[in-house]
Amino acid sequence: MLLEERFRELLEAAPDAIMQVDAEGRIILLNRVTEDMFGYTRDELLGQPVEVLIPQELHARHAQHRTHYRHHPMTRTMGSGLALEGIRKDGSRFPVEISLSPSSSAEGFRVTAIIRDTTERRMAEERLRRVQEEYTQRLAETNAELEMTNRELERANRLKSEFLASMSHELRTPLHTIIGFSELLGEELEGPLNEKQMRFVQHIHKDALHLLELINDVLDISKIEADRLELRPEAFDFTALVAESLASIRSLAEAKAHKLETSLDVPTAVEADRLRIKQVLVNLLSNAIKFTPEGGRIRVEAGVQELFVVVSVSDTGVGIPPEEHESIFDKFHQVGATTKGVREGTGLGLAITKRLVEQHGGSIRVQSKPKEGSTFLFTLPISSADRKTEGA
Amino acid sequence: MKKVLVADDKDTGRELVRTVLEKSGHQVFEASDGEAAVVEARRIHPDLIILDIHMPGLDGFGVIERLRREAAFSHTPIIALTASAMMGDRERAMAAGFTGYITKPIRLGALRAEVERLLA
Repeated sequence: MLLEERFRELLEAAPDAIMQVDAEGRIILLNRVTEDMFGYTRDELLGQPVEVLIPQELHARHAQHRTHYRHHPMTRTMGSGLALEGIRKDGSRFPVEISLSPSSSAEGFRVTAIIRDTTERRMAEERLRRVQEEYTQRLAETNAELEMTNRELERANRLKSEFLASMSHELRTPLHTIIGFSELLGEELEGPLNEKQMRFVQHIHKDALHLLELINDVLDISKIEADRLELRPEAFDFTALVAESLASIRSLAEAKAHKLETSLDVPTAVEADRLRIKQVLVNLLSNAIKFTPEGGRIRVEAGVQELFVVVSVSDTGVGIPPEEHESIFDKFHQVGATTKGVREGTGLGLAITKRLVEQHGGSIRVQSKPKEGSTFLFTLPISSADRKTEGA
Repeated sequence: MKKVLVADDKDTGRELVRTVLEKSGHQVFEASDGEAAVVEARRIHPDLIILDIHMPGLDGFGVIERLRREAAFSHTPIIALTASAMMGDRERAMAAGFTGYITKPIRLGALRAEVERLLA
């Protein structure tokens, strides 16, 4: 095959428009793609100034560029040049990218131009840009919606808190007089009661106090659920707190002839919310008393393991079947068969206890077998600030 | 016989506290809202005031703010009585100038002890 034919094949196989221009800017060579791209036939273009392929308003500037290039020839690769516009025979325009390479031969100075129609790429770029814009826009909208939702949630949470505060107040106000007047009647300062009257008055008083406990429990769990329960950590003597907790349940224990035992070895001060830890202890102790038949033994042990105080409250009571060892800490769970004959609570006590322990950064679990008693074990960091991050 | 002013918007609440205090040998005066409490306090100069925090109109905080500005009441013991059990309420009451704090429902023993402590 002749060299020229092979060169021609190469030229025609190229995906871009390729042309050569002489020193005066006249087209002296072009391939098929050039014809297709610009809509001219080869004969229409050969010998024409290259400006015929360039929009009118750019002619003057292009001629200048050409002259400049003539004196400072250099290879300009695809993509490194300016984005230009081409014009077809029918006057329609399209974006192009051009690479140039100069050559000098016996026939004089020539420039080979390779022209790529970048319409597709521009459109792709444009689509991409639009998708990006749309995405950014949608992201901004979603963010705004989220912010709004957050504000609404905050507001709902605040309303819930306010509701809790006012409910608490409204429920306690009538209980105040029920508890107060029944206690007053029971004191017989207004005159003696007969045996039956005294018993009735004591029923009213006892159940009103129970109702108060239930209200406090419901309020506590609501506060915990609304993330409104704030711990107030302070350093205190753990042994003294156990003694105080035992004192508050001693009469209940004595009423059922339970023996109370302690084995405490907590030499360091503990930093926690004292009242809440007392609530935990009293709750576990009252449960132990409640679920242990008369004449039982209730034992509190506490020691230090590394950075934790480890506390156990054990009883010789009815015990808890293994399948309920997890669920007893759920809200409103009440141990099935074992609650028989036991005054009902809210089923919130252990749920509250668990949350309080966990909010301190500790954990709680139970070891128990039916009829063999139960041991509740909980840990408490010796220094436990509120583990939840502020403003969560 | 000491003079005690009890301000509570609930008549049952006032009667409860009145009964307990009269049994302890005190003379009890009542006010059913904040404005009346201020007027009554100026009239009788009580040895002790028990103020319900939560009253319509002028509440317990409003009453104590007014009374504490007057020389006659700058040192009068004033107990806050409240059915609210929110954290921080006690601190807020003490900061406002209350000298005692009792939550509703009251236990009679606690009320008597607080009253005697402040009248001693």
